[in-house]
Amino acid sequence: MSTLRILRDLLRYNGEFAVGLMLVLIVLAVAGCSFFSPYPPMDVYVVPPDVPPSWEYPLGTTSRGQDVFWQLTFAIRNTLLFGIVVAALSRVISLLVGLISGYKGGWVDRILMSINDTFVVVPLFPILVLFYFIMRDEMTWAMLAIITALLGWAYDARLIRSIAMSLRTREFTRQAVFSGMSTGKIVFQEHLPFVLPIVFSTTMNNINWSIGIEVTLSVLGFTDINTPTIGGMIYWANQHTAMVSGIWWWITFPILLVIMLFIGLFLLAISMNEYIDPRSRLSRLGGQA
Amino acid sequence: MIAELRSIPSSDVVKAPQAVPLLSVDGLKAYYKVKLFGIDREVRAVDDVSLKINRNEIYGLAGESSSGKTSLIKTIAGAIRPPLRVVEGSVRFAFKDGERDVYKLSPHELSAIRWSHLSYIMQGSMSVLNPVRRIKHAFADFALPHVSAKGGDFTSLVERHLKRLHLDPAVLQAYPHELSGGMRQRVTIALATICSPEFIIADEPTTALDVIVQKGVLSMIREIQQEFGSSVLFVTHDMAVHANLTDRLGIMYAGRLVEEGRTRDVFKRPLHPYTAHLISSLPRIGDEAPKKGLEGSPPSLADPPPGCRFHPRCPLAIDICRREAPPMVEILPGHRTACHVAQADPARVRPVA
Repeated sequence: MSTLRILRDLLRYNGEFAVGLMLVLIVLAVAGCSFFSPYPPMDVYVVPPDVPPSWEYPLGTTSRGQDVFWQLTFAIRNTLLFGIVVAALSRVISLLVGLISGYKGGWVDRILMSINDTFVVVPLFPILVLFYFIMRDEMTWAMLAIITALLGWAYDARLIRSIAMSLRTREFTRQAVFSGMSTGKIVFQEHLPFVLPIVFSTTMNNINWSIGIEVTLSVLGFTDINTPTIGGMIYWANQHTAMVSGIWWWITFPILLVIMLFIGLFLLAISMNEYIDPRSRLSRLGGQA
Repeated sequence: MIAELRSIPSSDVVKAPQAVPLLSVDGLKAYYKVKLFGIDREVRAVDDVSLKINRNEIYGLAGESSSGKTSLIKTIAGAIRPPLRVVEGSVRFAFKDGERDVYKLSPHELSAIRWSHLSYIMQGSMSVLNPVRRIKHAFADFALPHVSAKGGDFTSLVERHLKRLHLDPAVLQAYPHELSGGMRQRVTIALATICSPEFIIADEPTTALDVIVQKGVLSMIREIQQEFGSSVLFVTHDMAVHANLTDRLGIMYAGRLVEEGRTRDVFKRPLHPYTAHLISSLPRIGDEAPKKGLEGSPPSLADPPPGCRFHPRCPLAIDICRREAPPMVEILPGHRTACHVAQADPARVRPVA
């Protein structure tokens, strides 16, 4: 009930939230259409190739004889799913590392943070390319998601750790220790609710980041190109020199859709910040921080 | 101030001496030791403190800030975290179901006596409740593991306890920020006393409350103490609270216990020059003479003066005070002090005008 009211107020008073939600809903609707596709995603030459956008083929067809719209529905679904899986996995790691390292301190903190800082400074992109060259055919969609998640948790773990460090010194933590609560219980019952709103906001950014990684890698052909993704579509369009031969619709619509997703998630993330940070709520009420 | 809370037992009503006091602290030394990155520091927050607390008694502990009050009760409760370390001494409880030496218990055994036998109302109780958890969750998190009742039984136990303390059980649904300061303080006390503990440690529970709320909180503690027959170790620097609430009073100065006796005796006839100055600093009705402050300030506990720690500020200091730390000696019945001058001639220590 109160969640619904929060959503209603955000829609009413927060323009960013309204626009972001609308963009994300459009993208989700497109992804949902994939379940009603008349063609299997991998089949080629099911429609006449190189037809520009028309009533029959609203977004045109590709040089491989695929309908751009239906192909796009699969592509955005896989790409979105990729972002969500990566974000979920990396959230779990960053929560575990951040909360435990911040609460425990001492040598646990030192070990976890040296691992953490290694991941912060390691150059991600060359490593992902390296993984592709080593694994080649084993580099499936799921494998790429796991590897990206393992590389994408470090910044947020540091953020969560800083909050956990401050929570550790508060009285209720001492009370919890005095009552004999275990580390796990203190961290996940007492401290987790504090960091969840921040995690929620960083999740959006993490989805954006991982989609960016995926698109970049697929455009260059460093992923499993047989799973339709946004990057994969652009890769195939480039392979058929779509821009040179004037098949602009093959490359424009995937890019437009993924930009809509980026902007939508970004707006949601910043409007979430406004909801989470009470001071910005105060300024909306006319109060001063 | 808080008046007519209850009558203070007069000095001539001497309680029958008890065979085994509930708490005996013997020669306790607890230091903050830091030896890291070239810093080698030792802060003697609790230095050679011995005291006994009987059953069914409210023992007050007074002293200015940084005199080691909180460190002392932390070590008594066994809530010791580095850099605080117990160097010497023992803390023994004689609970109804057996004696316990706090420093010989395993962490598991220590956890078992907490809440059920020994509870601790922490300093800054306003923040003892997690601001993002409802009060009922605070009860479940902190007290449930120590109670045999589970589920619905536990909830009704909590509600009964709150009602007994004149609190509306509806507070269980609230978040801490929805309660006033006084309410939060009462909920914290209710949380600490749910298992009818035999020994309650209260660390400045009335600090930062106005006197009206203070009165409510104090009578609540008094009620709990009388109903359960518990002992309370009550720590505050507010002498008016001590005068109204406590049976016996210990005065700490620079990490040491300097005087101890029945509250009325300590107020009427202080036997340590520090206590004498402390009591003369309290305002009295009709007294319009300006108060004279004592020269100097409490010594650094990292580098305390030799001998009696009060001697640099003591107007009565004699030679021996600079060399030897005075032991705690019983001068009048039930009234101990650590002062060479008072031990030689108690009449020399007199209330300062």
